Amino acid sequence: MDYMDAYRLISGYGIRTVPGKYVGSADEAVKFAAGNPIVMKALSPKALHKSKSGLVALNVDGMDEIRKTFSSLSRKADRYRPYKILAQQMVPFSGDNIEIIVGGNEDAQFGKMVLLGLGGIYVEAFRDFSLRICPITRTDAESMIDELKSSHVIAKDDRSRSMITDLLLRVSRMLTENKGVRELDLNPVILHGGTYSAVDLRIVR
Amino acid sequence: MSHYSSFRFMMEPKSVAVVGASDNPKKVGHIILQNFIDMGYRGRIYPVNINSTGRIAGLKSYKSVRDIKGSIDFVVIAVPAEAVPSVLDDCGAAGAKSVVVVSGGFAEVGNTDLQQQLADKAKKYGFALLGPNCLGVMNMRNHINTMFLPLYKFDSPKLGGVSFASQSGAVGSTVLDMVSNEGFGIAKFISYGNAVDLDEVDILDYLAHDSDTRVIIFYLEGVKRGREFLEAAKRTTKVKPVVVIKGGMSPAGASAVHSHTASLAGSYQAYEAAFKQSGIIQADSLDDLLDYAKIFETEPLAEGPSVAVITNGGGAGVLATDSIYDNNLVMAELKKETEATLRKAMPPIVNIRLPLDMAGDADDKRFEAALNAIGSDPNVDMIITIALFQTPGADSAVAASLINYKASITKPLVVVSSGGSYTQAHRRMMESSNVPVYSSPEQAARALAALYKYSKTRGAARKTK
Repeated sequence: MDYMDAYRLISGYGIRTVPGKYVGSADEAVKFAAGNPIVMKALSPKALHKSKSGLVALNVDGMDEIRKTFSSLSRKADRYRPYKILAQQMVPFSGDNIEIIVGGNEDAQFGKMVLLGLGGIYVEAFRDFSLRICPITRTDAESMIDELKSSHVIAKDDRSRSMITDLLLRVSRMLTENKGVRELDLNPVILHGGTYSAVDLRIVR
Repeated sequence: MSHYSSFRFMMEPKSVAVVGASDNPKKVGHIILQNFIDMGYRGRIYPVNINSTGRIAGLKSYKSVRDIKGSIDFVVIAVPAEAVPSVLDDCGAAGAKSVVVVSGGFAEVGNTDLQQQLADKAKKYGFALLGPNCLGVMNMRNHINTMFLPLYKFDSPKLGGVSFASQSGAVGSTVLDMVSNEGFGIAKFISYGNAVDLDEVDILDYLAHDSDTRVIIFYLEGVKRGREFLEAAKRTTKVKPVVVIKGGMSPAGASAVHSHTASLAGSYQAYEAAFKQSGIIQADSLDDLLDYAKIFETEPLAEGPSVAVITNGGGAGVLATDSIYDNNLVMAELKKETEATLRKAMPPIVNIRLPLDMAGDADDKRFEAALNAIGSDPNVDMIITIALFQTPGADSAVAASLINYKASITKPLVVVSSGGSYTQAHRRMMESSNVPVYSSPEQAARALAALYKYSKTRGAARKTK
């Protein structure tokens, strides 16, 4: 599914994402940034692993940087045509930021499932994740957190615990109500400053 | 009538027809018929064989189920696969209420069309069908047993509260044979094979309602109706524990996977999720399956994760402590009053702390004093008593004091004893008096952890953080 379509679907369930926009030129990106650091990504259905393919640039700050990044991303993405370039607001960086993954998949026997794990690019390496069949209850969501080895890292206080619980319930509802959504990755969801932002998302129909 | 309740016609039949019955001892139908006779089945038995000449195994026999005059609760079919559909027609015409097809040779060897005929006929005639490709059922209370295993090859378990369902007949009979050496007994056994009609969902519903069944253990490779299974399991675990061992670690799926989530969340993980979500306890091995069945049959639910270890051997106490923490349980912290009581009761060489090492000369009096003090401490949720019978102090009086104490305590208590024939004799004494005994501290701790997990599902455990 197109990124912006997925973005709208996810946002419609009250799941917090970061504002983003397709930019057709460096100037458009500069305008979007409005003086703030941004994230720039080249999106193509042919490039499944954006960061591995060098198609993600974080903390792009200033007009010159944005122009340089726009042209380097365009060059790298050329072999994945057709592609689009996405500009996103940057989540404030802090040493306390934690990346988690929240996802969805469909099982032939049990149907839709929701996943929570320690996220980022090492998710397959650590394999610290929990899974439940949708729709989930609040108790299910809480047990998904408790089951992780990293439970105290990702839910370090009651507030972050209830925030993640709420996020899981929303994702479960979105998956249950949208029959056509077969796979979902919110990866990473960055936990920062008492809130969270799903900074990258993918939906497979 | 709900579909699952047709299991009653199999488990408590007033009349049974055995199709494929024979005087030839090599035939499966012979073994099944002979087992009914040998175990003293009190209802009517109708041997059926197309080549019948009037009598089989001394009983009046029939060429077809249609020829039987009286009503038929249960038909056991042990004829070659291709002959089964027409026998089902006979069963339908005779108004049989339930059928088990023991014969193999269906979907498991690629004959899916033949198998579909079985499903269609069960639906058409409205009887409940178990199998094909299975061992059928066993009811320990009334000696119903459709297994085609010669009785001498197989130690029969005793009557108890654990019911066992197995997709695989071989795993089923092996586990039953193993159970016969354990301290617990069996209520019902169901081997359901290819499950064309009655399946996992019906079995759970039946066993949930069966008053003889206190614990359900299950070997399954896959379920036919995932969602309904999840719901049936949720209903069942509200009233009794269900322990499952899942065979077959399916790969993540042959279809292309695009997301991180899909690469992590395969079919096996989906089963694990369904088990967790429905309160099913998953066993990782057949040994765990039996260890958990044992604790669930005798022990009450646990109110918390705090374990007290009492031992007459220091090293075993240390191992038990490690195992407790490995399984996410904790060592209890005794109250001051309990420590004071213990100080008075124990000789000076005994350190008053958990694990309580009462030393090798601990006799029944010392065991009794320790159990009384520790068992009544509100900080203690569960107790592991390690009784090593190789020590100078431990003898039959120790086993007797454990049995006596067990009868009075309302908290979970397990015993660890391992060793040779002297130990085995005492182990049997204790187990026959409902004291669960494990061979190692690791096994005891794993079983307690399973019990605590289920206690949380049932809401019996205190709220903990």
